[in-house]
Amino acid sequence: MKNLLAVLQDWEAVIGLEVHTELTSLNTKMFCSCPVAFGEEPNTLVCPVCLGLPGTLPMPNKAAIESILLAGMATNCSIEQRTMFYRKNYFYPDISSNYQITQGPVAFCMRGWLDLHVTGKAALEREDRLGTSELPKACASEGYATRINITRIHMEEDAGKLIHVGGADGRITGASHSLVDYNRCGTPLIELVTEPDLRTPEEARLFLQSLRQIWLTLGISDCSMEEGSLRCDGNVSLRRRGEVEFGTKTELKNMNSFKNLHDGLAYEICRQADVLESGGCVLQETRHWEPASKHTTSMRVKETADDYRYVPDPNLAPFDLSDDFVASVRTQLPELPDEKRARYVDSFALPYADAVSLAGDVELAAFFDEGVKRPVPLSPPLSPSLAPQALKLANLLLNDVLAYLNASGLTLSKTKLTPQGLMELAQLIAEGTLSSKQGKEVFALMLESGEAPQKIVEQEGMQQVSDAQSLEAIALGILEQFPDKVSEYQAGKTGLLGLFVGQAMKATQGQGNPKLINETFVRLLEGG
Amino acid sequence: MNYPQLSVAAIRDGLLARQFSAQELAKVALDTVKSIDPAIHAYLELCPELAHLAAEKLDAALVAGTELPGLAGVPIAYKDNMNLQGTHTTCASKMLENYQSPYTATCVAKTLEAGALPLGKLNMDEFAFGSSSETSYFGPTLNPWDLKRVPGGSSSGSAAAVAAGLATVTLGSDTGGSIRQPAAFCGVVGFKPSYGVVSRYGVVAFGSSLDQVGALGRSVNDVAATIDAISGLDPLDGTSQALKAVYSQTTQLGVKGMRIGVVTAFMEAVDVEADISTAFTGALAHLEALGAEIVEITLPNAKAALSAYYVIGPSEAFSNMSRFDGIRYGYQNEGASCLDELYEQGRANGFGKETRRRIMLGSYLLSSGAYDTYYYPAQQVRTLITQDYHKAFEKVDALLTPTTARTAFEFGEVADPVSMYLSDIFTIPSNIAGNGGMHVPVGLGKESGLPVGVQITGPQLKDENIFRAAAALESCYPSIARLAPVGSTEGSAL
Repeated sequence: MKNLLAVLQDWEAVIGLEVHTELTSLNTKMFCSCPVAFGEEPNTLVCPVCLGLPGTLPMPNKAAIESILLAGMATNCSIEQRTMFYRKNYFYPDISSNYQITQGPVAFCMRGWLDLHVTGKAALEREDRLGTSELPKACASEGYATRINITRIHMEEDAGKLIHVGGADGRITGASHSLVDYNRCGTPLIELVTEPDLRTPEEARLFLQSLRQIWLTLGISDCSMEEGSLRCDGNVSLRRRGEVEFGTKTELKNMNSFKNLHDGLAYEICRQADVLESGGCVLQETRHWEPASKHTTSMRVKETADDYRYVPDPNLAPFDLSDDFVASVRTQLPELPDEKRARYVDSFALPYADAVSLAGDVELAAFFDEGVKRPVPLSPPLSPSLAPQALKLANLLLNDVLAYLNASGLTLSKTKLTPQGLMELAQLIAEGTLSSKQGKEVFALMLESGEAPQKIVEQEGMQQVSDAQSLEAIALGILEQFPDKVSEYQAGKTGLLGLFVGQAMKATQGQGNPKLINETFVRLLEGG
Repeated sequence: MNYPQLSVAAIRDGLLARQFSAQELAKVALDTVKSIDPAIHAYLELCPELAHLAAEKLDAALVAGTELPGLAGVPIAYKDNMNLQGTHTTCASKMLENYQSPYTATCVAKTLEAGALPLGKLNMDEFAFGSSSETSYFGPTLNPWDLKRVPGGSSSGSAAAVAAGLATVTLGSDTGGSIRQPAAFCGVVGFKPSYGVVSRYGVVAFGSSLDQVGALGRSVNDVAATIDAISGLDPLDGTSQALKAVYSQTTQLGVKGMRIGVVTAFMEAVDVEADISTAFTGALAHLEALGAEIVEITLPNAKAALSAYYVIGPSEAFSNMSRFDGIRYGYQNEGASCLDELYEQGRANGFGKETRRRIMLGSYLLSSGAYDTYYYPAQQVRTLITQDYHKAFEKVDALLTPTTARTAFEFGEVADPVSMYLSDIFTIPSNIAGNGGMHVPVGLGKESGLPVGVQITGPQLKDENIFRAAAALESCYPSIARLAPVGSTEGSAL
């Protein structure tokens, strides 16, 4: 099989995604008052309604409707005020009533879009697009922008979970029997469907990442791909470059990480190219991505469309959402990652890549915003612009803090760091009171004790010697000690500067401000 | 004092006057069922413990002198599609033969809160699919007026029990006439409220947009007291309505000044039995004599109601019946080798013929292609019929029609399902439009010797109009027999 980049030279991949998100932030299920939770004992979070017992009726969860409206507003969808629930009828033991309550032709959210900025290595899968569209000015690296249209976002209830016993890997093949856990049954779920506008696995990955960042910013879900609260299926087909007609698509399942989404689609694209180039036909089928062996296997071939006998659910009156209700939901809309990114670039002159990373992490961004909002008054006073401190704070968050979080497995709120404390550290470094090395030491002590950096600096006597007069005195003393070297330097051997600086650092026990020492020597030696 | 003759009000008076205790009443009521029910098979299950428990509470309240609730001491029984914790909910099906609900339906719970004494669960057509009780898996209920005849359906036991004195009032459900038609066949008052007046929570669904819970009794006042107890907004039913009518206060208002509509064209289109049309003209004359204004109106689309009903009903039923798959509860066929076989065999053997027919019909009607040909137009017809009613009720306050075209038929007499479906022609339009309707008995037919009566229909959510007219009409027939002559009433003395 050819590799992906080679395949994409000849073929254009057409990809659409279906993204399911469980609204895990809600207190209760979609149509009953059972709690929404993961990992509880099987069948303990159930009631007659979500068990579909005879005579029960669904009552819609208002908070879930608010969540889906937020999701639609954040992805530029039009909000449909008149919509209704339908029943999708099919028999399977994980759905307790043998129909899923979902939406019909009109969903709460229709016709949205997201713009993707594909840069760096991610852009290579679509070399032909490099430079074809304008990226934000601040974005220095090469790439392209592309708009992905969203068909709809509809509301539905999740099914329970089948646990297959006796087969390999918990799959149904070879299992002797199956158990059903209805805890998840009735969990509010939103399904977003994109137009077939994605062209590369990287775009798909980027889309899902952007979407996840938006959902997390909205706070509607914990978006855990591992626990299945964010799930993504992909539809993919190939056509020759320049061709208009779509090829036959396959539906790809079990891509439960960003890497699996990318790799699964990449494999499937290569597989389809292989089939087509050897004169075969792609079958319309559902395929399962096997991350371990890195290939896809056929689950079932779709010869005809399934007939789900959709019918309006007579138990749920059609919605006619008031303008006031929609407006009140819109006021809850927080600042979205793209807006945040732009603000970080505009207000703090953060580098574009840093702004993207920071804006894309809800916790780090909140920490950053809190830090720059209330800087602690320090002596010497803040520089007129916050930019250097903010930049340093961003660096600390994206490097030191992130590295610590990854290593410790903690979330930011579980550490002893505070936004004010970290901002204080950023300021001490930015204004030269601490060297970078000292900054790292203070950071380590902050993690341990939770003390404010200023206090740590005092306790440890770490203050950098930044007093120009005392540094000049030290420098003059050193120059007097090494008259030969001074002559050599002045004869052109400027590399000797390191020696002088080293001596000065020694004299200040490593606490001299290296930048200032450097400048002092240059001035003295070159007769400034 | 003979218990079966007591009204809701008389029971209350008797309790307050200490003529009998609730415990004594519960015992006599249960004994009456035990001695008479074998002759008609209205009951599927008795719940003496629950009845005595309720009676005990009531007697304690009497001793304590607290105010008695609305249905204090009223022996009541429920159609077996209503959940009552501690009893089975079989829906008269093999599928649910052993099913016990872990929760109680709102309407049932409200009768208990109102102090009623729950006697047990009543026979019905399987899952309410039928008009005669002949589709019950547990065998039919017999008409107390003539044991060779059907009691009507699907609330067969609910009507027969009241007619035979085996409960003071009963609850039934009505999707296309399932309260009013058996009430007509058994000569009792049967009322289907407007859609949304009574919560459907806990009542096994047939056609969710058509189903409505109602009550049957031997007088309009008894039914009014029952509806007063069970109606109202239910946070568990999104289609229930917030209006809290006090129907028992409207039954004394009289019919003077009310405009009563008649739909001659609709009646002429149907072959109505002589006994029924005599009852109708007699009732109309009485109402006019009492000061009602009779107005001729038209319901041009009502004739299409039956067609729309037999699309919408089975479509919703198909989906509602899906949950009965034998996986979590209900009948499961032994020895299925795979999942599909488990479904197929369980549902083939667990459901009766009529239930399977409706499921297959609904499955076809909702399949792609057929949906646009049948389901969608049926909804349009539904809108037209609803508009017809709206227009009609601009001119009149209530409608008078027959309830059924004929009196109770004999078992086996109507074998063709389509003829059976036609027996609901006068009742179905109000389910389609969501209006309330009541059967009011006016005695026995001269030719048939069987119960006859009329139907009064009201504007949507203005069921008080029905109670006004019905109570006035009822007062014109003071001496008609309210209890069917079945069995011995020896055990029924208090």
